Amino acid sequence: MAAPSTDVIPGTLDLLILKTLSLQPMHGFGIARRVEQISRGVFKVNPGSLLVALQRLERSGWLDAEWKQTENSRRARVYALTRAGRRQLELQAAEWSRRTSAVARLLRAEG
Amino acid sequence: MRWLLRLLRRRALDRDLDREVRAHLELLTDDLMRSGLSATEARRQAALTLGGVEQVKEASRDARGTHFVEDFLRDVRYALRSLRRSPGFTLAAILTLAVGIGANTAVWSVLDALVWRALPVERSEELHAVRHGAPSDEDPNYLFSYPRRGRLQAALPGSARLGAMSSIGGLYLATGQRNDPVSAQMVSGDWFQVLGVGAGQGRVLNEGDDDEAQAHPVVVLSDVAWARFFGRDPKTVGSTVRLNGQPVTVVGIAEPGFDGLTVGQPVYVWAPLWLQHQVGFYGNFSSNDSDTEKPWLPQDGIAWLTLVTRAPAALTNQVESRLATRYRAELVERFANADSVERTRALQERLQLEPLARGFSPMRAQYGDPLRVLMLSVGLVLLIACANLAGLLMARGAARGQEVAVRVSLGARPGRLLRQGLSESLTLAALGGLVSVAVAWLGGLGLLRAASPTSRPVSLSLALDARVLGFAAILALVTGLLFGLAPALRAARAAPFGAAATGVRVTHRLPLGRVLVASQLALSLVLVAAASLFVKTLGNYLRVDPGYAADQIVEARIEPRVAGYKYEELPGLYRRLLDAVGAVPGVRSVGLSLYGLGTGAVRLGGFRIPGDTRGSRQGQENYVTPGYFATVGMVLVRGREFTAADRDGLPRVSVVSQAFARHFWGTDDVVGRHFGYGEPQFEVVGVVRDARVNRVKQAIPRMVFHPLAQAPQEYALSVEARVAGDAGAIVAAVRAAIAKAQPDLPIRDVVMVSDLLERGLSREKLLARLAGVFSAMALLLAAIGLYGVVAYSVAQRSNEMGIRLALGAVPWKIWRMVLGDSLGMVVVGLGAGLLLWLPVQGLVRNLVFGLSPTDPGTLSFAVLLLALVGILAASLPAWRAARVDPAQALRGQ
Repeated sequence: MAAPSTDVIPGTLDLLILKTLSLQPMHGFGIARRVEQISRGVFKVNPGSLLVALQRLERSGWLDAEWKQTENSRRARVYALTRAGRRQLELQAAEWSRRTSAVARLLRAEG
Repeated sequence: MRWLLRLLRRRALDRDLDREVRAHLELLTDDLMRSGLSATEARRQAALTLGGVEQVKEASRDARGTHFVEDFLRDVRYALRSLRRSPGFTLAAILTLAVGIGANTAVWSVLDALVWRALPVERSEELHAVRHGAPSDEDPNYLFSYPRRGRLQAALPGSARLGAMSSIGGLYLATGQRNDPVSAQMVSGDWFQVLGVGAGQGRVLNEGDDDEAQAHPVVVLSDVAWARFFGRDPKTVGSTVRLNGQPVTVVGIAEPGFDGLTVGQPVYVWAPLWLQHQVGFYGNFSSNDSDTEKPWLPQDGIAWLTLVTRAPAALTNQVESRLATRYRAELVERFANADSVERTRALQERLQLEPLARGFSPMRAQYGDPLRVLMLSVGLVLLIACANLAGLLMARGAARGQEVAVRVSLGARPGRLLRQGLSESLTLAALGGLVSVAVAWLGGLGLLRAASPTSRPVSLSLALDARVLGFAAILALVTGLLFGLAPALRAARAAPFGAAATGVRVTHRLPLGRVLVASQLALSLVLVAAASLFVKTLGNYLRVDPGYAADQIVEARIEPRVAGYKYEELPGLYRRLLDAVGAVPGVRSVGLSLYGLGTGAVRLGGFRIPGDTRGSRQGQENYVTPGYFATVGMVLVRGREFTAADRDGLPRVSVVSQAFARHFWGTDDVVGRHFGYGEPQFEVVGVVRDARVNRVKQAIPRMVFHPLAQAPQEYALSVEARVAGDAGAIVAAVRAAIAKAQPDLPIRDVVMVSDLLERGLSREKLLARLAGVFSAMALLLAAIGLYGVVAYSVAQRSNEMGIRLALGAVPWKIWRMVLGDSLGMVVVGLGAGLLLWLPVQGLVRNLVFGLSPTDPGTLSFAVLLLALVGILAASLPAWRAARVDPAQALRGQ
């Protein structure tokens, strides 16, 4: 049997990024690590697709970015949520719970 | 907005992206090292996890959303580089495009200025001219008298004004030492207000200037006149100048860009209507029971004013019906006591409003059709050029086949290849379009000059404004797409490297190329046929016998009225002129006339004969000195010429033309009969053969000639001298003789009558010349196209030829084989051309004279010419094929 997939559920990467950044601004690598931590290893974010997604979210105006020094005195690009991004997060989160409760109901249905 | 910023800061963003990806890589490495891996192992794992740096960067860049434009710009740079590598091709292509697009733009801009452009006044669609006449009248009649205008104005509500203007006439404007002829127009005080035209300096005329008793004589100059005669001197406004000797004050300059309502005839001076008599202004008029020597303004019988009014769309019908009702009431009243024939005819007259958004333009009617035909021709030339360029690009693409194959192997998608192919043709088109602007400007000026009916160039402003530039840009874009699409599509379907069979060269027959050449030949046939028709038409017109000795008559146009001669002085003046010109060596005889030959100026009158119930009918009049007919070479078929015995006070006599005699009496044996305007006051003493005394193209007029001596109040405007020998050399001598005898007599022009007649054919000359040029261009391009295709196919088959020659084929058989191959294209092309000619010949029907558009002689000439050119163009590569060195051809495989 193949190893269980650690890929993020398709279509949820944006949501995860927005949620992570809603807690505090951080750089791309930090986001990947935080997602891995909080999901307890279920999801490992692919750095390549993470960077692409960050570009896309920035283009849509939901994230702001600037260069900052990190702890180990390396320079990294730190992303933060904009107001529009916060609204988008709420929208997407609401959409997510609507769909997952529907799936859960369908799974519980008997006959 | 942010998208645009991202586009502009591309390089900075790229650097950011690079740094970010690498930073991410470093952080990943650090993290892995912290969990115990060695530095190298950590870096390797990090790299694996991230995936290729460049891939990530590329994917991120795509997500940025600007890559369409970036790719396009990169394609353009690439196209420029590859164009620079083949300078010969690039130069030829750009020149072809520049000439093609430029010529089209030039013709379009002239068409626009002449036919389509609206007047430079506000809301020009509200302007209307007032027109009256019976439905059966051939020419619309716009002339009204001043009192009638007043009565019509009274029928309108106060806010609607009927501005009045005379025709455009020539006056002399004198300032200080200068005395220049200018075109002038008499207008009512509210004319400028009706049009909505303001002043650039000073003021325009207003209603206060209309009152003859109170107002000072003032004039308004046009901006062009101000620049030309006064150098834009600000002190011009308020200064005094002389108009035909009368002092007037310049009260303002009209706003720049306004030259009056007649397109192509700019007005320099506007003066109030009442100045007509004082300055001696004589424009177009029709007179009825009136005295043209007295002031025109108060006379109801002199109709000399055109009326214009401004009416928004909603009110037009209302205004028109009020005017029409008033007009009809007047007609009913006036003809209440006339006989029934006259009354019925008069009551057929209607009054209408006619939209005037684009102004009056006699030139429009004359040149509208030829310009459209030229537009079509030059468009065809551009199409042919596009076909050639498409073929050239395809040949280039075939030569670069390997490079494209490599790209496909590296992962280029068909869409990308298509874009790349198109960007090359679009770049070429853009460069050609830039150069074409200069071509368009020069071409437009040249076209106007060639279209000028008189020696003075027509003034149409052909500014390179947004419309013209926009047209050129759009045309360049369409052209680029047109000739770039086929080669780009072909490139897009290329196979990756190694997939195409190497070794055996595939014999491409280029079916698309052949179709292109055949269509080029078809289009060229149409153009050559049209051009031959126009050339022949011009020749036919030039060969028309005008009915007098046009190439032996020198004509001087004089203006004794402007010089202020009184009636009593006229006989003396005439005597002196006849003596002076008669004394010039080479002059055989001299005559004077009211209107000269070939000038197009006419005087029309209504005549009746006794016992005629049809009412008065039109004839054309002229006043001439004794011996005039012999002088100009008009043949008398019956009766006699005028002599010195036909003096003032004696019974009035006339000589009529055959057309007049036949129209009124049904025969030309009419010596001794009588006719007149109302009463039969003239006796016919001679009948002269019909002649084209007006322009060559106009219908033969029904002429009535009177002795000048019997009309002592007429100012003769023309001196005709019959010369022996070279008429051109005597022109200067005649002018000098007149100037010496009468230094104060203004001479408008001294020309040979045949030159004057040719000037009237300027439209035909324009067509013949330009159609000839365009068809030559088309023929050249088609020949080049044919040559290219045949050369290409020969090159492809060169090893086949080599083998044949090596096996003993005779060279001329090879030649015949290649030629026979291309014969198909030529025959199909010519056939298609003949088919295409059928609808086209209907278009040019009105522009030919003396032959039918389906004239077999012309068509055969065109077919033969094209066949000849085709054979020559195909022979060259065929001949080269026959001389291929077999060994070399085989080696080249």
